[in-house]
Amino acid sequence: MIQIVKIIRVIDECKDVKSILFKLDKSLIPKPGQFIMIWIPGIDEIPMSISDYKKDEYWGITVKIIGECTKALANLEEGDYIGVRGPLGNSFKIPEDKDKKIFLIGGGIGLAPLRFLSSELKKYGYSFKMIIGAKKENELVLVHKPDNIEISYIHYCTDDGSYGQKGFTIEIFKEIISSFSLDELKNTIVYTCGPEIMMLKLSEICIKKDITLYASLERIMRCGCGLCGLCALDPLGLLVCKDGPIFKSEELKKIKDFGKNKRDFSGRKINLN
Amino acid sequence: MLNVKISNLKLKSPIILASGILGVSFSSMKRVIDAGAGAITTKSIGPIPRKGYKNPSIFEILPGTFINSVGLGNPGIEEFYHEIRKIKEYNFPLIVSIFGDTFDSYLKVALRAEEGGCDAIEINISCPHAKVSSIGINSELTYSLVQKIKKELKIPLFVKLNPNVTDICEIALAAEKGGADAVVAINTIASMVIDINTKRPILSHGSGGLSGKAIKPISIKKVYDLYRILKIPIIGCGGVYDWKDVVEYFLAGASAVAVGTALHKGIDIISKINENLILFLQENEYKSINNIKGLAHSYKTQEVPDFD
Repeated sequence: MIQIVKIIRVIDECKDVKSILFKLDKSLIPKPGQFIMIWIPGIDEIPMSISDYKKDEYWGITVKIIGECTKALANLEEGDYIGVRGPLGNSFKIPEDKDKKIFLIGGGIGLAPLRFLSSELKKYGYSFKMIIGAKKENELVLVHKPDNIEISYIHYCTDDGSYGQKGFTIEIFKEIISSFSLDELKNTIVYTCGPEIMMLKLSEICIKKDITLYASLERIMRCGCGLCGLCALDPLGLLVCKDGPIFKSEELKKIKDFGKNKRDFSGRKINLN
Repeated sequence: MLNVKISNLKLKSPIILASGILGVSFSSMKRVIDAGAGAITTKSIGPIPRKGYKNPSIFEILPGTFINSVGLGNPGIEEFYHEIRKIKEYNFPLIVSIFGDTFDSYLKVALRAEEGGCDAIEINISCPHAKVSSIGINSELTYSLVQKIKKELKIPLFVKLNPNVTDICEIALAAEKGGADAVVAINTIASMVIDINTKRPILSHGSGGLSGKAIKPISIKKVYDLYRILKIPIIGCGGVYDWKDVVEYFLAGASAVAVGTALHKGIDIISKINENLILFLQENEYKSINNIKGLAHSYKTQEVPDFD
């Protein structure tokens, strides 16, 4: 079902990035990692991670201007209408054991679903570290930092060193876990979203070190609910919209399209980037 | 118990994946077969790659009822040829749905799909949100196209019927006369949704086709009517969600059913339908699902209303 709702607030995050807040039917409760289909009237409809949620108050998405559609979305104002379908897809699996070592690793706009995850983890009393990376300082998506997260838990890095550590998220992560014992590695969980090549490398490290990893994938989709087949991942036939968008390292290992291919609107397989 | 035969296609279940649903990649089609489908129909494939209409192009408008206007987005037969080859490695009955922009291109695409190794061709002459529907609303065009393709094709030819016509029986008879081996009834029903807030049609194309629960009674009536006049088998299509829907289609006269929209509930609904169909047949002491075909026709319906 599609709900047509008014935008209640637009927040400037950083260069070319905005968060958009709106209200949905109160009976709907999203889980971190889920997505929604956002209709920008007259323009397009695209899948967006839920980046923020406050019960009975608002839902939020965080959009980076990449093309015509994201530009139109980012330019919407308070009071403008959007259409929303969802929440859709599966979610980040949160462990029952609160003693797990938890890492949230986000690259660029990939921070969006992790932001919602971080506020949920905090709400239920989990401690965790965030590693946030971007090309340069003005592209770091702080995503109006959840006010209850202590900044000391967040590691920043930029490719050019203009903010935080110079280098990639993966390097920071490797550095931190280098002192971990085998038991500690086994007790570690990584949640990630970002450029797929980053997630591919991260999953290779995690598989090697026996670390549990959950990655959020993105593909072109029409329906968002398991019908159009455009988001199918070969060779397992898993659907990003229905079986995902969150996949565990064991699944990712078997998905040949991971980090490599997607399908365009015609259904043709093309390179990811 | 669930074995059915459509033309020379032997299916281990009467459930066929409907065209347009998950029929892009070999891997998702294989999943549908693994879940227990008897055959797969691919997305409609045309002569060249086509992106189709922009989003919104599919959404649910009532529980279990969807509207769509994908606009025949497809990778084109040359690209899809390789997908057909890959699917055939798994050796399950494959029906390739095709369309063209001219009679010649219909034929070309059909023959290339046959060369790829598919088991039957379904011709889409009925997509309500694309120009090809103009064939499916005209019995002479339908007859000529079917005859032209049938003459050259070695494998069975199915025709997907357009419900957006005055008399579907007339078109179906033309398809049968042209040599069709089966008809698929029905394609989606022309429809539209307008948002009252923005005052715009929601689908990017404006209008689209309705599928799912709401169209089942319409489709059942079409199958019932077609069964009375056709000699060739009918594949019932529209709103199949559970085993009871399959039974209803068979009672109306279907020889198999296509499942599409219901898969938003998950691919495993197919295995549940199969299991429950077997239970139904056992409980009612039918040896085969074929034994219930057309049973609704043995009951007289009132032709003339009563007067005071």
